[in-house]
Amino acid sequence: MPILYKAITAVLAVTGCISLLMTGELNLVMCVGGLALFPGYYRSLKNYPQASRRAGAVLAQAALLVFLTDAFLISEDIFLAVAHMTITFQGIKSFDLKEPWDHLQVYFMSLLQLIIASELTRALTFGVIFVVFMILLVTAMVLSHFLKEGALGRVRLRRPVISIVALTMVFTSLFFIALPRTPQRFIGKSHYRGIKTIGFSDKVDFGSFGNVKLDRTVVMRIELNRAVPPPYYWRGKTLDYFDGVSWRNTTRQKSRIVKLADEFLFSLYDRDTAIVQNVFLEPIDSDAIFGLAKIASVNTDTFALTVDDDMDISMPGRSSKRVRYTVYSDPAGFYAGTGEPKYLQVPPGMSRIRSLAEDVTRQAANDGQKARLLENYLKGNYTYSLSTSAPPPGMNVIEDFLFNSRKGYCEHYAASMVMMLRSVNIPSRIVNGFYGGERNDYGNYLIIRQSDAHAWVEALIGNAWRRFDPTPAVSLQRQPAIALLLDSVRMQWTRYVIGFSFSDQKEILRKMTLPFRMKELPRVDVGVFRTYMPALSVVFIFCLIIWYGATVLRRRKYGFVTAGYLELREILKKRGYRMTDSSTAGDIRDVTQASSIAGAVYEFVRLYELFRFGKKQVTPEKQQQYERLLVQIRSSKR
Amino acid sequence: MTYNMIMDNTTIQQLQHAVDSVIRGKREAVKMAIVTLLGRGNLLIEDVPGVGKTTLAHALARASGCEFHRIQFTSDMMPADIIGVNIYNPESREFEFRPGPVFSHIVLADEINRTSPKTQSALLEAMNEKRISVERQTFTLPDPFMVIATQNPIEYHGTFPLPESQLDRFMMHLTLGYPEPEEEKRAVADQAGFERAAQLAPVATREGILAMQAGADAVTIEESVMDYLMRIIIATRRDDRVRLGASTRGAQFLLKAAKAHAYYEGRDFVVPDDIRRLSPLVLGHRLILKTRKFISDAEQVIQDIVASIAVPV
Repeated sequence: MPILYKAITAVLAVTGCISLLMTGELNLVMCVGGLALFPGYYRSLKNYPQASRRAGAVLAQAALLVFLTDAFLISEDIFLAVAHMTITFQGIKSFDLKEPWDHLQVYFMSLLQLIIASELTRALTFGVIFVVFMILLVTAMVLSHFLKEGALGRVRLRRPVISIVALTMVFTSLFFIALPRTPQRFIGKSHYRGIKTIGFSDKVDFGSFGNVKLDRTVVMRIELNRAVPPPYYWRGKTLDYFDGVSWRNTTRQKSRIVKLADEFLFSLYDRDTAIVQNVFLEPIDSDAIFGLAKIASVNTDTFALTVDDDMDISMPGRSSKRVRYTVYSDPAGFYAGTGEPKYLQVPPGMSRIRSLAEDVTRQAANDGQKARLLENYLKGNYTYSLSTSAPPPGMNVIEDFLFNSRKGYCEHYAASMVMMLRSVNIPSRIVNGFYGGERNDYGNYLIIRQSDAHAWVEALIGNAWRRFDPTPAVSLQRQPAIALLLDSVRMQWTRYVIGFSFSDQKEILRKMTLPFRMKELPRVDVGVFRTYMPALSVVFIFCLIIWYGATVLRRRKYGFVTAGYLELREILKKRGYRMTDSSTAGDIRDVTQASSIAGAVYEFVRLYELFRFGKKQVTPEKQQQYERLLVQIRSSKR
Repeated sequence: MTYNMIMDNTTIQQLQHAVDSVIRGKREAVKMAIVTLLGRGNLLIEDVPGVGKTTLAHALARASGCEFHRIQFTSDMMPADIIGVNIYNPESREFEFRPGPVFSHIVLADEINRTSPKTQSALLEAMNEKRISVERQTFTLPDPFMVIATQNPIEYHGTFPLPESQLDRFMMHLTLGYPEPEEEKRAVADQAGFERAAQLAPVATREGILAMQAGADAVTIEESVMDYLMRIIIATRRDDRVRLGASTRGAQFLLKAAKAHAYYEGRDFVVPDDIRRLSPLVLGHRLILKTRKFISDAEQVIQDIVASIAVPV
């Protein structure tokens, strides 16, 4: 068996195992069996004798026992146990590679591993591994085909392999594009655990943002339809009830919004002035929909969205999958509200805070001014710091921040402001979300990270909820360009592969049918074409010349001879004649002797031997005759 | 029968036809004997008595216009009985060499396993070196020179079967077997084959045979076909059933035989079919199997090996 074939099998097996390990979901102890791959394939490549079938079977049965133990006692998850088992099996199989069939088993196992891995991860690296895997698998299949035909070593493989890989890629892409997308993309239990976030649930413990603020994990990427001046406040969850330890959202009533023509409409808005945000949410463990205020409409593939009185929009259930949605925001709009008593709730023991609030707001004439004064007071008199300590006994966190430590982060500022607002009878609430984001010029979008998590205040001034942010500005740290470039690749991956949706399919279909719609001819920028056309045509012609030259060069002296002969064998094989690797031209002559094509086959084989082994000059007439005979044989009746 | 006629092989066909007319129903064996002759090889026929070994050798010699001698080996035979002796000539007062029966173009060494190894090796050395040394004098054997040796595989008592190293010197190993019933009936009804062989008119000359041997030498072999040949040789050394595989000499003989076979077919190039066809006959007697002893078993092994090796396309 050729070394190349063995080597590809080895790489495929390793690729399969790596794709699983890469997900980071596996129990490494259960994957120890995978280490056997290295000695196994070393032996295989060095042509050492392979293990006996029986040893393989015994080990496989042992692995099954381990699998059961794993599934019910260790991982307690059949899915992960299967993943562990495939790795162990790969290890065992690497010692037992005798027949092409064994290699096929390895391919199958690797494919299974890749499928499992696809369920466990959504990372870009998986995409890369998948592409590598596919190229290798196709190459291995082509090799094994030629191996079966007995033509290995005599047939040039590069061209068939490259063309088949290319075709596979094209068809996979077409298939990927055309595959029906279900509107509900949250089917089934996902094994992928989302990014752990804090602050976007109905109950948030005070002080939880402190840990998150240092986490640089990307949470979402957002494309804006036009240049929108900062600041960006990506609104997520509102919280209204504070008990001194944690914040809660006490709104029980959530209403389901029904989809109208692809969108969930919350309020009327002007499409021309709306800020359109394409949000690519990483799998996080929250159901909140993020967007700039005021969110007027959301377009997503889910069946339903819910909204509550605070205008918190939620997806049905936590997805833990990558989600993509489009938010249409009305920048001039604001959330209307009424001063419900819950927005004035203050936990007991806040009297000191009330007197401070009254002091600060003494000169204000109205609620708006009061709020502004409080915001500026907090901004100006306290130090932003992520290192806070627990309050001394007998003092609550707000008091500690305002009077004792005088340092804290967004939660301290926002909570203090809400408490102060409420103590001067201004209805207010906390809003948790993300602030800002890093602009990535490669791809022109914003990167929002865990560290961008932020809490701010909404206060009811008149009948509108106005935003106040008492937290002082903190300088941003920029990413190096290469990291941004890499991130933009990840963005494309998320955008066009993971997040490829039904609406994208519709868009492609629409664009494809555009030329056929008379009224809506595509506006092609001719200038661009004019600039690039010469360069493109040069490249095209260059490629053509290279291709042609390579074809001519690659065509062996007797290329057509062997090709014709192999085709004859194929034809005869299809007609039920026995053809093996060891069948000679003489055999072909013998087996077809009684058939109607005997004469043609006789002459064809005679010419074949003459051209192939006789080193005779092949005249064009002879070549024509050769090819004509093949046509005659092919078209003859059975 | 022949295709791909590049060269005129009329003489060969006539030769075949002439020998066929004497020994009926043995076309294949006759063909292989001619191929051995063309390839300058020696032939070992292993078969029971009375199936036409002698007739075949005699007819081939007659038809090719060559001299023929038959040596019936016995246990008391000495080397001098084959290669000849120096005899004192009283008239010239000198010792004169009296050539033995080996000085002939085609020598039939009948029942070679009946004689002692000493005598056997005398013949085999002559066969290999094509010349004989007697007391500081060297005598070249006639050209063409071909030994057709026969062995009886059934009898073992009082025989000295040829060791493998000696067997290796024969280009081909054949068994004749009984003819087809119809052919046998005719052969029985006809007069004795030996008599008819003696009456056979030559269709070729000694010079003609030499020219054909040169022609067979000039047959070309394409690289991939040569590789195919070597793959078969190497496979015989790797097979589980074989204790000793084919030697380099075996490979050389296979190549020579394949060329002669191609020439017989009227081609000036070797095709894989030549090699596949001849492998059992050329390699069978060279293998030492782990279990069974008969050459026919070894030939089966070769058949299996050949069936497992991909033919160049």
